Amino acid sequence: MSVVCNLSDERLLIEAAQKDPSRFAELYQRNFHRVYAFVARRVHNRDEAEEVTAEVFHEALLNLQRFQWRGAPFAAWLLRIAANTVSDRRRCEARHGAGTEDPLDEVEAEVYVVAEAERRAMLYQLVDRLPADQRLVVMRRFVDQKSIREIAQELGRSEGAVKQLQFRALQSLRHQARSHYE
Amino acid sequence: MNSVAVSDELDHAIDVMQAGLPGPEPIFQGETIDLLRVAQDLASMPRADFMSRLLVELQWQASGREITSFSRPPVRNPQSSISNYEFMPTLLGRGNEIYPFRHRNVAASAALHAGLFLLLGSGLVMVSSKAHIDARPTVSEIELYTPLDAYPPHGGGSGAGDKIGASQGEAPRFASEQLAPPIVAPATSKIRVEDTLIGPPDLNVPKTRPEGDPLSTLLALSSGVGVRGTGSGEGTGDGSGHGSGRGPGAGSGSGVGFALAGRGVTPPRVIYKLEPEYSDEARQLKHQGIVTLSVVVGVDGRTKHIEVVHSLGMGLDEKAMEAVRIWRFQPGMKDGHPVPTQVTVDVDFHLF
Repeated sequence: MSVVCNLSDERLLIEAAQKDPSRFAELYQRNFHRVYAFVARRVHNRDEAEEVTAEVFHEALLNLQRFQWRGAPFAAWLLRIAANTVSDRRRCEARHGAGTEDPLDEVEAEVYVVAEAERRAMLYQLVDRLPADQRLVVMRRFVDQKSIREIAQELGRSEGAVKQLQFRALQSLRHQARSHYE
Repeated sequence: MNSVAVSDELDHAIDVMQAGLPGPEPIFQGETIDLLRVAQDLASMPRADFMSRLLVELQWQASGREITSFSRPPVRNPQSSISNYEFMPTLLGRGNEIYPFRHRNVAASAALHAGLFLLLGSGLVMVSSKAHIDARPTVSEIELYTPLDAYPPHGGGSGAGDKIGASQGEAPRFASEQLAPPIVAPATSKIRVEDTLIGPPDLNVPKTRPEGDPLSTLLALSSGVGVRGTGSGEGTGDGSGHGSGRGPGAGSGSGVGFALAGRGVTPPRVIYKLEPEYSDEARQLKHQGIVTLSVVVGVDGRTKHIEVVHSLGMGLDEKAMEAVRIWRFQPGMKDGHPVPTQVTVDVDFHLF
């Protein structure tokens, strides 16, 4: 029942965005982490993941009028755009000898990656719910790739204290992720 | 294993993961392995401000404005395989399309765009744009600029604003030191110091009449044509200014005008801001405070003419200017039109 309600809500959001493109922001916020996680799983680094994600949403907004509601989630359309964008890049790289094709079978890869993307998207959103000091340590450590020493200097705390924050943050994320799937 | 030991082991495992060392994983135990998997997922998280930056770009795109993107490649030709999207079509055996590059298509596209621009320029095609912006709460640090009423507006490098042209005359002689700049001598002055121009004293200029414009046909005394502008000197004014007096003047006299909030001008609103970084020097000394900047917000919502009003030093002024330089605003509006508007911005530097 809740799935039907969510899809109905989503359909209304899509129709609203098709009438007024500024309403696309709501669809964007609902699907950002999902698309980013999907793309990040398929590309080489964060810069490329951000580039491709931006490209996906710009194209989606540009072609929103051509979207037709067929009962599938809007995310499926976005992930289709994302998959094609990544594939185009790989082909371009392969033609220029800069990269390799995805070694996994395309269908198998897609099913796996979509499920992985959902899980990671949820994890990214759980980071936003961490206490401020734990969230800061997670962002500095894993996104900015700072060392414990650098983070300790920035926070004005000991390295041991920062390691404890890191440890508790990861424990909390693991616990919340498991609770979500139980 | 107590929690300190586990947190140390976990941190070591994360270092190994981030270093990307090849070979089998070092021998980590139970909970460390579990938490390391979470850490591996976090390694690809987006940057903290990426989501909000991209949202701003999408809002600009939705409003019909041209995007000068922060960091993304140009939007591809939308004639890609989007029109017939279905859920996982590769399950049905369809492959993705290949996009060969054809020069003929590029030439045709360029010709079509040139034709459209000509039509737009001739006014035959009117394009309406929706300037609707899903505005976020404005930054509370922005204060409206309050001019000092007693401060007389004047610009530099322009004439005195006389209605008639400069009177005919000759340029004064050059001197290495200037006691008095060239002016029209009032009839009542009793003490007269010879007007000079700064330059090599031996530079000869033909002398025929008193100071003025040798090329002017006007014989009545005049201070010269010029409209007071704001320039980059002291003082402010509305609108643009220009002038062309002779001799040196105070300020640059470039005459770039901008409005002040209030007086029928709605203030600009922040739609995207980037938090400034702390300088290493200030962080080490735990130096904190507020940097106040004077900023002009252009009609495109970008910031220009950023100047420090209140300095904190230790590199924080530069960091504040760096951050504000890429802030984006909804521009100030007057009578329904965007106008360049000056605002004051407080940038707060505080350590946790």
